Amino acid sequence: MARVKLDITRRQFLATGLAGTALLGTGMGPGRSNLAMRYPDPPWFATGEVVTTYNYCDMCPWRCGIAVQSVDGKVIKIDGNILDPKSRGKLCGRGQAGVSFMNDPDRLQSPMIRTGERGEGKFREVTWEEALDYTAEKILAIKDTYGPEALAIFGHTTGDFWFTDYFAQAWGTPNAAKPSSSLCLSPRDEASKLTFGFPVGGHEPMDWDEMECITLIGSHIGEDSRNTVMQDFVEARARGAQVIVVDPRFSSAAAKADYWLPIKPGTDTALLLAWANVLITENRFDRAYLDEWATGLDELTAHVREFTPEWAAPITDLSAEQIRATARVMSDRSPRAVIMPGRHVVWYGNDTQRMRAEFLVNSLLGVYGRHGGMYFNKSPFLEAYPHPPFAVTGSSGGCSAEPGEESDVLPLGPTGKARADGAREAFLRGPTAMQELIDPMITDDPYRIAGLVVYGVNLLNSIPIPNRTIEALKKLDFVLAVDVLPQEHVAWADVVFPEATYLERYDELSPIAHKTPYIQMREPAVPPMYDTMPGWMMARELGLRVGLDAFFKWETIEEYLDTRLRSVGSNLEKMHDDGGVIIQEGKPYLEDFVADGETPFHTASGKIQLASEDLAGAGFDAIPVYEPTEEPPEGYYRLLYGRVPVHTFAKTQNTPALSAVYPENELWINEDEATALGYVTGDRVWLENDNGDRSGPIAVKATQRIRKDAVFMAHGFGQNAEGLTNANGRGASDTKLMSRYKLDPISGGGGMRVNFVRLVEGG
Amino acid sequence: MTVSDTNGDQQILRYRTRQRVVHAVMASSFLILLVTGLALVWGPLAFLAAGGWSRYLHRIAAVAFMSVPFLYLILDRAGAKEVLVDSFKYDRDDVAWFRHMYRYVLGRTAEMPPQGRLNAGQKLHHSAVIVFSAVIVVTGLILWWLKSGLTPTQLAWTAMIHDLSMVALTLLLVGHVFFTYVYTAWSSMATGYVSKDDMEMEHSKWVEELEHDGAEGSSS
Amino acid sequence: MASAFLLDMTRCIGCEACVLACKAGNQLPVDTQYIELIEHTSGTFPDLTGGFQNHRCYHCADATCVAVCPTGALFKEDGLTRLDRDACSGCGYCVQSCPYEVPVMSDGRSSKCDGCAANVGAGGSPWCVTTCPAKALEFGVRDAILAKAKERVAAIKDRYPKAQIYGETQAGGLGLILVLPDDPETLDIPADPPDAPAVVDLWKHVVQPVSMGATVLAAAGAGVLGIIARRNHMAELREVEETEKAGVSSGDPDTEDV
Repeated sequence: MARVKLDITRRQFLATGLAGTALLGTGMGPGRSNLAMRYPDPPWFATGEVVTTYNYCDMCPWRCGIAVQSVDGKVIKIDGNILDPKSRGKLCGRGQAGVSFMNDPDRLQSPMIRTGERGEGKFREVTWEEALDYTAEKILAIKDTYGPEALAIFGHTTGDFWFTDYFAQAWGTPNAAKPSSSLCLSPRDEASKLTFGFPVGGHEPMDWDEMECITLIGSHIGEDSRNTVMQDFVEARARGAQVIVVDPRFSSAAAKADYWLPIKPGTDTALLLAWANVLITENRFDRAYLDEWATGLDELTAHVREFTPEWAAPITDLSAEQIRATARVMSDRSPRAVIMPGRHVVWYGNDTQRMRAEFLVNSLLGVYGRHGGMYFNKSPFLEAYPHPPFAVTGSSGGCSAEPGEESDVLPLGPTGKARADGAREAFLRGPTAMQELIDPMITDDPYRIAGLVVYGVNLLNSIPIPNRTIEALKKLDFVLAVDVLPQEHVAWADVVFPEATYLERYDELSPIAHKTPYIQMREPAVPPMYDTMPGWMMARELGLRVGLDAFFKWETIEEYLDTRLRSVGSNLEKMHDDGGVIIQEGKPYLEDFVADGETPFHTASGKIQLASEDLAGAGFDAIPVYEPTEEPPEGYYRLLYGRVPVHTFAKTQNTPALSAVYPENELWINEDEATALGYVTGDRVWLENDNGDRSGPIAVKATQRIRKDAVFMAHGFGQNAEGLTNANGRGASDTKLMSRYKLDPISGGGGMRVNFVRLVEGG
Repeated sequence: MTVSDTNGDQQILRYRTRQRVVHAVMASSFLILLVTGLALVWGPLAFLAAGGWSRYLHRIAAVAFMSVPFLYLILDRAGAKEVLVDSFKYDRDDVAWFRHMYRYVLGRTAEMPPQGRLNAGQKLHHSAVIVFSAVIVVTGLILWWLKSGLTPTQLAWTAMIHDLSMVALTLLLVGHVFFTYVYTAWSSMATGYVSKDDMEMEHSKWVEELEHDGAEGSSS
Repeated sequence: MASAFLLDMTRCIGCEACVLACKAGNQLPVDTQYIELIEHTSGTFPDLTGGFQNHRCYHCADATCVAVCPTGALFKEDGLTRLDRDACSGCGYCVQSCPYEVPVMSDGRSSKCDGCAANVGAGGSPWCVTTCPAKALEFGVRDAILAKAKERVAAIKDRYPKAQIYGETQAGGLGLILVLPDDPETLDIPADPPDAPAVVDLWKHVVQPVSMGATVLAAAGAGVLGIIARRNHMAELREVEETEKAGVSSGDPDTEDV
């Protein structure tokens, strides 16, 4: 019988390693212990020396600090780094599956150059030398013919810095974009900048520890399994914080809520205005706070007078009592009562104004800079590696980017062209809008975009109207795909660069704007598998071939990283020995600024803009109004989409361990509706949108957990990529059912909850 | 039919080739079932079941075991009928035989009542094998096909009855091997022939019958 | 000393981190998992309650699986139900008998949570506990875990009037103590799981050893007796032969006298 007999050295190691001080060095006692000998199949940690490396997780964009444990050159187990303020020793399911992601047998294994037609997926394997030379030749030709602005660079995932930020700025293209901006966060961060003078930031600055009331609008914590947020949410709630969830669906979070408001989709602004009405008319807002820190209270008071709960009730399909009651629950706990700024907020095309409405309610509750409300985050100090001035100032934004200053003048590329996404015309402001760069690729308007680099973006499963994207791909002179997996769009590339995963490479340091600003590191646990290369090396090798030598002076990545770390009194070795993070001091509360005689709000007035002069000046409403959203046609449902806990975007569906747990998405439909249509849970249907596009088959989940006017599915499924054994053809694709989106005229966000589907038989 | 071996002992054909084939199928499937069955329930042999392959072997052997009566009927209808009829028919001599069975167990046939083709012990053995085989087949089929429909209690009972039947059959096997050894009967299944001397001691009525039949046969 | 898990279902938010930490830490085959989250919903829209059943081994003190396991591959240790897969014969009785329907067959053998025996034995925590972002999971000495669970229940009575502990008494006391927001049936957990069938005791503790002993004894006895009996029989045979030699020749033309 397998019984454990302890070995003291091993025990000490495990006590510190597994339970975790995360301060493990690399030399760890004897390779084999009694433990190993007592087990016929000894547990992995008893089969050899356990080596720990530090990293930030790449399985979602949240960037948890992780400790990666390897034995005999094999990565076995990933845990949260206990010193990391985001992970605190914990990790979500996706993070746990990082090893499975790395070992996915479907990975791209060698650089390739296309031999067949675009889209056919026919390639020949080539050397890195050939792939890089060929790529350099192609993009230089584009530069010579059309100027450097004609090369668009799309990037996503935690390695996107090298191509989307660094290479793009050095090369000189303003057409670098990330889906995390205009297909995710732009409206939120633009609304925040308009209201408070700074973006929300990648790590929402919720002061969870002392919070007493949390309101979620669409945020489905638990299904959206961001590690830190789950920890904080559960802890706050267990401490007694009240939870209000506004969601058309009874999400995991709604099941934990004290108040669930099953709102009619698209009417959130009406609810928010009614809440503001209750807070103001019942004199339940923080007048002293607003007097000192805000402007526009009188306008806001006048504005919301007519938006009573009774007005909002029929619009939102909620009761006036519910609306009033929840507003009171919030105000009773203010300023320790926060409406959490959502994350994926591109819903209906009026999203900046909806987010503004959220921030106005938060301001009435007086949350910013208050204990238990929202703190002011701060970026860590860290000097850049010295480089010549960039050829163009970046504007790709993204959840990981440093907040850039919004300028009245759009940055111009070396040949005098501003970004081609229609900023300042089609929409007011914000980072480069990825989905707005597709049309110019087809129409050459305002100018020709001839080349595209796609770094880690699942192009055809992230940008709405994928048929349009395919049209653009056909028209481009050159497409380079940098990826770990043969995603759907890789078949359309001319050259494929296979990337080493985050566990196999060094990478740029990760500065986290936080209550305690801090820096994360990424060091390889194992060398790159196959003939793959880290992103930084590809960017550098390409840079050296296209005349950007001055930007890549460093010989090794270690030298680059050591130089940057020297500015904070550290280096790679020391940072590793210190447990993989460098933590600095923050400035989280109002009193910290008052003491220094500063204002934390970076608007022109230095105050919270309850009424936005910027918006009024550009012809928009200074204070949000409710605008009805288009209703689904008869027989159709509004298509809602979101997360399941074990998948990220359209990125992890092929990861063996995650696919095993959740192999395909399900269609949530109200049980009564399903019954009326003759479907029961488990039936397989296809979905057809009002444009006739179809996706499926998808299994029906007939449930009471959703309203009758909408259906819901997890995003990222229904991919058509033959090289992806587990993801190909599994479930239905929300993206392929998006034959339209609604451009947010303020932020450039592409609202995607404006598509309608019905259930049909057969593909 | 009788022949003589090289020593000149007279040999009688006791089992035809087809009967021996049937016996071989039964014996080999039984032994496989015994070992693979033990592997399922007995720790020290569980390593044999590792990976579950022995369960498949158990099922294959079970099919072979269950096919024995059908095989017998197909290959040797008369023999099958004979063994079934003879095994459940006891006469006065059989009863007397049981009374003196201890002598037979000790290897002494003298003074045993005269026996036919099957002695009383063999009849009892056959009938017990038939009964316990039936039970084990029925419970085995339940465990194979209907297990998921059983409550834990039903499952435990079924498994226990299955196991007990196997214990009984195994004990019968011990006896079977014992008598085979004591009465040097291996040849009956190896070649089909046995020593006439032995038969005259143990199955005198059968030898008489044979001689009578033989005489009749030659006269007719 | 008996150990136990604490699983607070009022904290569990269904993120499945435990599922994947378990798979990774225990190096389970890709299609095997020891923990499964099953969503449950009561009521009709919009008056709903819901949560997850965190389906995993309950580590019963009176474990039916241990009772029915013929090979001892399943056994109790430190209050937890361990599984030595090397000793498993793949009979599937545990799969069939577990009142919670926990063990499954994987690669021809039983497969279920063993409380991270190796990891805990070496001084660590079960992988699921280490990683749970909701801190819904804890692991420790059962008495302390039970006391903590009672504190938790008392603390959440305002929010969950029907909050209760599960596992204090069920199946002789579980090694997985649940803090439930409502009656266990709402998460499809049996309020009172059935005991192991009484016949299993008889089977394992009487019938099997007796049978084994009887068989061995019979075989040994037959061996000894066989030698004696065969000697007797051979003597009888020789007697007959001698009688035949001494007496009138059989007259069989094929018989060759030596």
